[in-house]
Amino acid sequence: MNPLQKQKKVAGKAPSKQFLTFRIGQEHYGLELSQTREIIEFGGITEVPLMPSFLRGVINLRGEVVPVIDLAIRLGRKAIETQRRTCIIVVELTTNDQHHVLGLLADSVSEVIEMDDDSIEDAPSFGANIRAEFIQGIAKQGDEFVVLLDANNALSVRELAHLVEAELQ
Amino acid sequence: MNIDSALQTFFAEAEELLTSMESALLRMDDGETSNDIINEVFRAAHTIKGSAGLFGLDDIVSFTHKVENLLDLARDEKIAITGDLLSILLPCRDHIAKLVDCAMHQVAPDADCLAAGDRLLQSLTPWLGATAAPVAAAVNSAELQKAVANEKDLWHISVRLGPDLLRNGMDPLSIIRFLNTMGNITHIATITEHLPELHDFDPEQLYLGFEISFQSNASQIEIENAFMFVRDESDIRIIPPRSDIQAYISLIKGLPENTQRLGEILVRSHVITQEDLDQALSTQKQQAKAQAHVALLGNILIEEQAVAPELVNAALDKQKKNQDRRVTPENRFIRVDAERLDKLINLIGELVVNRQRVDLLASALGNANLMEAVTSMGNFTEQIRDAALTLRMVPMADTFQKFKRVVRDTAKELGKEIELDIEGAETELDRSMVEKLNDPLMHIVRNAMDHGIEPVAVRRERGKPNTGTISLRARHDAGNIVIDISDDGGGLDLERIRKKAIANGVLEESVHLTRNEMFQLIFHPGLSTAERVTNLSGRGVGMDVVKRNITELQGSIEIDSELGVGTQFTIRLPLTLAIIDGFHVGAGNIDFIVPQNTILECVDLGSLNHVQGQSCVNLRGEQIPYIRLQELFALAPLPDSREKLVVVQFGDKRAGIVVDVLHGEIQTVVKPMGPIFHALKGIGGSSLLGTGAVALILDVQQLIGFAINKENARNGSLLASTQE
Repeated sequence: MNPLQKQKKVAGKAPSKQFLTFRIGQEHYGLELSQTREIIEFGGITEVPLMPSFLRGVINLRGEVVPVIDLAIRLGRKAIETQRRTCIIVVELTTNDQHHVLGLLADSVSEVIEMDDDSIEDAPSFGANIRAEFIQGIAKQGDEFVVLLDANNALSVRELAHLVEAELQ
Repeated sequence: MNIDSALQTFFAEAEELLTSMESALLRMDDGETSNDIINEVFRAAHTIKGSAGLFGLDDIVSFTHKVENLLDLARDEKIAITGDLLSILLPCRDHIAKLVDCAMHQVAPDADCLAAGDRLLQSLTPWLGATAAPVAAAVNSAELQKAVANEKDLWHISVRLGPDLLRNGMDPLSIIRFLNTMGNITHIATITEHLPELHDFDPEQLYLGFEISFQSNASQIEIENAFMFVRDESDIRIIPPRSDIQAYISLIKGLPENTQRLGEILVRSHVITQEDLDQALSTQKQQAKAQAHVALLGNILIEEQAVAPELVNAALDKQKKNQDRRVTPENRFIRVDAERLDKLINLIGELVVNRQRVDLLASALGNANLMEAVTSMGNFTEQIRDAALTLRMVPMADTFQKFKRVVRDTAKELGKEIELDIEGAETELDRSMVEKLNDPLMHIVRNAMDHGIEPVAVRRERGKPNTGTISLRARHDAGNIVIDISDDGGGLDLERIRKKAIANGVLEESVHLTRNEMFQLIFHPGLSTAERVTNLSGRGVGMDVVKRNITELQGSIEIDSELGVGTQFTIRLPLTLAIIDGFHVGAGNIDFIVPQNTILECVDLGSLNHVQGQSCVNLRGEQIPYIRLQELFALAPLPDSREKLVVVQFGDKRAGIVVDVLHGEIQTVVKPMGPIFHALKGIGGSSLLGTGAVALILDVQQLIGFAINKENARNGSLLASTQE
């Protein structure tokens, strides 16, 4: 279970969380700010052969080789077409005590929002056509809905590795 | 220094001590019986016990204490160290190691472990009991009675701890706990007089002292040793049982606290009676009046010294000897956190990459002076890199040492006579690789003992010496380390391997394999090893796993064997995985790096004769199978590419890799690709170019496998999967 969900249950009184919101196509998404490390300009990507389409390649992030994921494809959307505002959100995940750094392609980054838990609604079981475990909730920002992603599931390194393995067979 | 780092030091030290203990025990097993060697084992046990006591690791203390007792008897030549005893002492050492391990992982030893410990201690009792124990027990009970009868049979220990002990990671409580393992603390009073007012109180400072009454059969030296680690900074006074009242008086006088209060404590702890105290104090007062004050002080000092000068001297001597022994290695080595080294090597890797970038920029500018400076900087960079890499190198000796033990134990279990011959133990290898090499080596050695070396009867029949020999040899060879594991046992039966491979569907009957290919079959996962697995060689690791482990280390393993004569495994590994000399090539629009030490030559593909129009060329009479990176990795083909063939070799296999562009030599830092790319074959890692772009490092061994497989597949051989 996501540690933050756990926290939610224990705390009772709604604590607030910060999210970095960004746009892919016409849709708005949010990632917990604590899981993001930086935002960099798109560029200098090295393609890795034979990879599934969501794995766009690797970049050199100040000496660290970081895989870059096209989240749109991962969420079952059309691949992101790179343009001037395309950027890479660098995400740092910890699973089983191991650190994983991943880059996420986004059409543009919007802002950081603060949401208390009460105003985050549970993910709808229909309509979003995104796998339910990828979403930790939906937030309403003005007229827009922001899909708050559960990075540990949506970007599970184990699952990504399985997908790569499947692609290679 | 905090308690945690002190603990870490303890673990590191314990590991070293356990290793030296094991090696000493094994030397004893080889017939060495000097006092020095028994002392070495004793000292190891003693120090582990002492330090463990300091950290309150009671399991270790109580177990090691018993072992130490036995060693003490051996040291005093009350018992002889026999093979039988060694067969218990070695597992005892292992048990201590296990307990230390538990402590390190902060788990309590489980019931099995504790039961095993009890069993070991049980098996030690005949030795302990046969000689000293009855006597000791007699003395024990006699003394105990006396102690009850006369409370002056208590040791009295005055402890004024140094103010910095807490800061240095020492816990006074564990010292007291440790004392309790040697005897019984009958009374303890805490001296709190030095505690300051709250606003002056520094929580990291130790203000306490203790007055301890202690009932024990331990010698004064042993009791003093309990304070070994704090003695320098603290004021420790020990008064043996039945000392003259004067000794207590001088103690009271010598201590900084209020005389009256100390006297009360002593009275309360039943060391002296109120009467004694009053009497002594009044005589002192009278004396003080009568004599000069200085004389009295001198008196006290003399008495203090008179406690047991020979004991003190003995203790000092012993301490000095221990220190002498330790000083030599400590002067030559510094213990460094492996993580810090890794960090340094990573940074140097970055430096190497950046240097290449500077190189590029300088040559673009074409300034001769700048170029010269850059070149000389480059030379130093290379030297720094090499020097840094040697920091992580460790000799194979420790690894090989473990096998001595394994061979000894296993040979006994199997009822075979086996000798382990070690050569080149000083050969060095990257530490991270040594760890990963352990399991494969262990498996091969166990296999050799289990299936290689024949039983004595068979050996005699074959006209071989009764004792079989397994050799471990390590050497450096052209930037690689080569490890040979050979035995003079029965050798591999090629016919049996072949039959089994056919029976298991690994091989088709019609296929003919070379000798070498036949040997490689034993690494095939489909060649069930079930029949061969015993509780000895079967640690859940088959030969296929051995091969995989070695391959993961970018190494190769080869076999040579002759039926009835013996088998030799040859493992070849790069010295380090961190930085390599590479050759930068391009295929499609991707940069690749080929490890330099695998490259034989580069030629124009077009200039070569192709064999029957297949992916195989004729290079000066030799047929070289090749593989196109562009095809293998489904890359976009470059228009007008003049394809180049990079001829590579790994072990004794050669193949060609076809690329589009040759860029040139490059020094490069290997960056792991991460778990996501685990399934990707043919690429061993990634690296950064001077331009900052990422290049992919080719896994030459796998690529050669692909090229050969492709050819073999065409030829209908089924060897394919063994080449994986």
